[in-house]
Amino acid sequence: MKYIGEHLFVGQLGNFFVVTSFCFALLAMLSYFYASRNEDKTWKKLANVSFIGHTASVFGIVAVLFYMLMNQYFEYYYVWQHSSKALPLRYIFSCFWEGQEGSFLLWTFWHTVLGSIIIWRNGKLTTSVMAIFSSVQVFLSSMLLGVYILEYKVGSNPFTVLLRDHPEFVNLPLFKSADYLLHLDGRGLNPLLQNYWMTIHPPTLFLGFASTLVPFAYALAGLWKKRYNEWIKPAMPWTLFSVMILGTGILMGGAWAYEALSFGGFWAWDPVENASLVPWLTLVGGMHLMLIQEKKGGVSFTMFGLVLISFILILYSTFLTRSGILGDSSVHAFTDLGMSGQLLLYLLSYIFIAIVALVVNYKSLPRNKKEEDLWTREFWMFTGSLVLFISSFQILISTSIPVINKIFGSALAPPSDAISHYNSWQIPFVILVLLFMSFSQFLKYKKSAFKSFSKAILRSLIAAVVISGIIGFLLKMTNPFELFLLFTGSFAVLGNLDYWLSILKGKFRHAGSSISHIGFGVMMIGALISMSQQKNISNNTSSFDVEQLGDEFENKENILLMENDTLSMDDYYVSYRGKEEEGVNVYFLVEYMKRLPNGDFESVFTLKPRVQTNPRMGNVAEPDTRHFLDKDIYTHVTWAILEEDKKDEEEYGEPEVKNVKVGDTLYLKQSIVILDSVRRILPVDIKQVELQESDIAVEAKLTAWDFNTKKHTLRPLFIVKDTSEIYGLPDGIEDIGLKVSFNNINPKDGSIELTFNQKNVSRDFIVMQAIVFPYINLLWLGCFIMIIGTIIAIYSRVKFGK
Amino acid sequence: MKKTHIIGIIIIAISIGVIFGSINDSSTYSNFTESSKNEQAEFHIVGYLNKEKPQVYEPQKNPDLFQFYMYDKDSVERKVVLHKSKPQDFDRSEQIVIIGKSKKNEFHADQILMKCPSKYDNGSPKFQSPEELEKERTANS
Repeated sequence: MKYIGEHLFVGQLGNFFVVTSFCFALLAMLSYFYASRNEDKTWKKLANVSFIGHTASVFGIVAVLFYMLMNQYFEYYYVWQHSSKALPLRYIFSCFWEGQEGSFLLWTFWHTVLGSIIIWRNGKLTTSVMAIFSSVQVFLSSMLLGVYILEYKVGSNPFTVLLRDHPEFVNLPLFKSADYLLHLDGRGLNPLLQNYWMTIHPPTLFLGFASTLVPFAYALAGLWKKRYNEWIKPAMPWTLFSVMILGTGILMGGAWAYEALSFGGFWAWDPVENASLVPWLTLVGGMHLMLIQEKKGGVSFTMFGLVLISFILILYSTFLTRSGILGDSSVHAFTDLGMSGQLLLYLLSYIFIAIVALVVNYKSLPRNKKEEDLWTREFWMFTGSLVLFISSFQILISTSIPVINKIFGSALAPPSDAISHYNSWQIPFVILVLLFMSFSQFLKYKKSAFKSFSKAILRSLIAAVVISGIIGFLLKMTNPFELFLLFTGSFAVLGNLDYWLSILKGKFRHAGSSISHIGFGVMMIGALISMSQQKNISNNTSSFDVEQLGDEFENKENILLMENDTLSMDDYYVSYRGKEEEGVNVYFLVEYMKRLPNGDFESVFTLKPRVQTNPRMGNVAEPDTRHFLDKDIYTHVTWAILEEDKKDEEEYGEPEVKNVKVGDTLYLKQSIVILDSVRRILPVDIKQVELQESDIAVEAKLTAWDFNTKKHTLRPLFIVKDTSEIYGLPDGIEDIGLKVSFNNINPKDGSIELTFNQKNVSRDFIVMQAIVFPYINLLWLGCFIMIIGTIIAIYSRVKFGK
Repeated sequence: MKKTHIIGIIIIAISIGVIFGSINDSSTYSNFTESSKNEQAEFHIVGYLNKEKPQVYEPQKNPDLFQFYMYDKDSVERKVVLHKSKPQDFDRSEQIVIIGKSKKNEFHADQILMKCPSKYDNGSPKFQSPEELEKERTANS
């Protein structure tokens, strides 16, 4: 059959680029290898050309895939699987990296960019570094091949056509018609990724992943060429860059989790988060050791170890998240796409290479013969780096429990309370790191006199004690660990500030480390305060509602909010004002109000947490957060009725008879009713029935207040006709679902008998959670300062070679 | 002894502590039968929802209480009392992991993880026939 409207050429073009990118990578690797071994110019030229060819091919793949997504060529599996006609164009980037092929492509893409810069700068070890770079590219570009070699599928190709390469689809009735493309729509993008964070977080994180290859390649080249110290200088700015960008990527993930996921915080120690934090920690440690080695030497083995392991841990984290092994333990675990064997090979190859390189060179690594002095900067930097390593080791072990199960066949489950498990380990580590970073700068490399050193730190030490004491007192913090963390955080900030201002005289070019350390300190203080002082305010309800909730109300984190009811929460009064639908999104309007002195409510702000409906992939709830300078108010709808309208089933329930006196107040389902008066009225005033002048009519006047404090009046009548026939004329108000009949008068106590008919209302409601995060802006400020500090350090390194 | 050696020993000691600490803090994947034997211990139980039996969620009474029936991997059924709000999209879940303790004939969970495989899976979903698509299009417009 000839199919109409297929665009097969672009796919062929894409495949062409896939093949050339792999071949060029292979060629580049081999020729860089020969160039490096023989110091040969011709080989180097060939290698550079190949790498540029490889880079061009990768750019070609990227361009073709984008082109296909832009034009919605659903005949291609990747496009069909990750996008749909209705998807807004702004999410096209998210479509690109939703799939494994796309995200590996992104990774490869960044490698080619970084590799090209290295070739362009052309330093000492370039050929060896690029040989290692190209070998990684061989692995990565093979993951896009999608060919079978001896029955093993190598790679997963992003340019497969549904109808030709996926036999499971061929027999579907849809494909029986030649114009099937007219009827084909894509599966659509995962609603979790339909979020602006998801357009910037993955490329940043992948650039972070990719950038760890540079220090790895340099370190390995240093071992290979036995230039144990010379590699540090060219690698240093790259390592700083990697620390900065990987850190930014991780923090963006945290921001995404905070803004868009229902984690209820910015860091939940989720395995996927941990997997990228671990290599960052080791790389920060490795970077500090590179500084020591450069200045004084003596730490080469540990330094090589940490730098090499950082890249390997990146591979390991990719393996963890992409192989499906995390399965039950993570909210955003990915399923196995059949690439785990290849990923494992990739991981094990580089573990093997790194170990061999270290073992072979172990004997000849440069060592310092002299015993280290205690009061030197390098001693405490070294110890601090080891603390970072241990800290990452702890996270690694706990995160790897599913892997341990796989290897040993055990049935261990991850810690049930992950947050307190990790915190109890990590808080002491952070305290140590902060402490070391607060005073180490005051020490000199090689040797310092303890006396002058202690004098120098005294000022910031005292200031830190005072400031953390005041903050702790104001926030009523009592946990000694938290107080100590607060102290060390303040000490780190003040110590580095003091060092920068008084010893470095506030000079910009040396500011990098001090400013990054200040940022880290501020960040930790922000994390500590916002986490430890976070307050779930959605359990603090008015007394009226607690009675209704019953005695099983123990695990109070959610609250029921009926439409238009007002509940008191912390400093606010909160009301649910109904929902708005906008395309696939349902927004719930949650109004926060303050009470004025005269008793009226004044609206302060309205939050719109939403649920993104998606019948195919499931609905996704997204919180909404109001940001203030000193706190955030996070609001999340945990449960809501999404299907509209069961309202027509509302019926009047069993009537209730009550004896009421004038002035009595009655609390009904939808209103509060007061009996104002009972009086006799003239029969002529009654229009509903015809009465004689001798008949008796009594009117009860009731005022009903609904929950919007709107006033309604009801006037049921009691009539005695022809002295014997007694009946009531009921009155009702539909809006509040109430009918009242006047049945009798009790002359004895002056009360009257009324019958109340009330509607069984099913009013709309939401179950929601609200959390206040105090001073969370300190955390973001700290991140920002840390990033700025690292950028200054990179700038100084590149510009002044320091 | 060199200072580096002392540090080395401390590092090794902490590492061993870390390994044991992690194992100590970890819970176990298990089933309802095992969890009934030890009502003090906390278990992770993997299983699936019994869709035949009723689910009770009355947020008007208590928004943090949800009850349902679940089978574990050995097909043992148990009533589960979840001390949380009913997860949105609960009925779509294909696999559930609950974390908590047994209490008599019930299992009291304070955490729940759900797997809705459709979010990340690669499987082939239903295709719409041209007629179905047409119907949807007219319904939407």
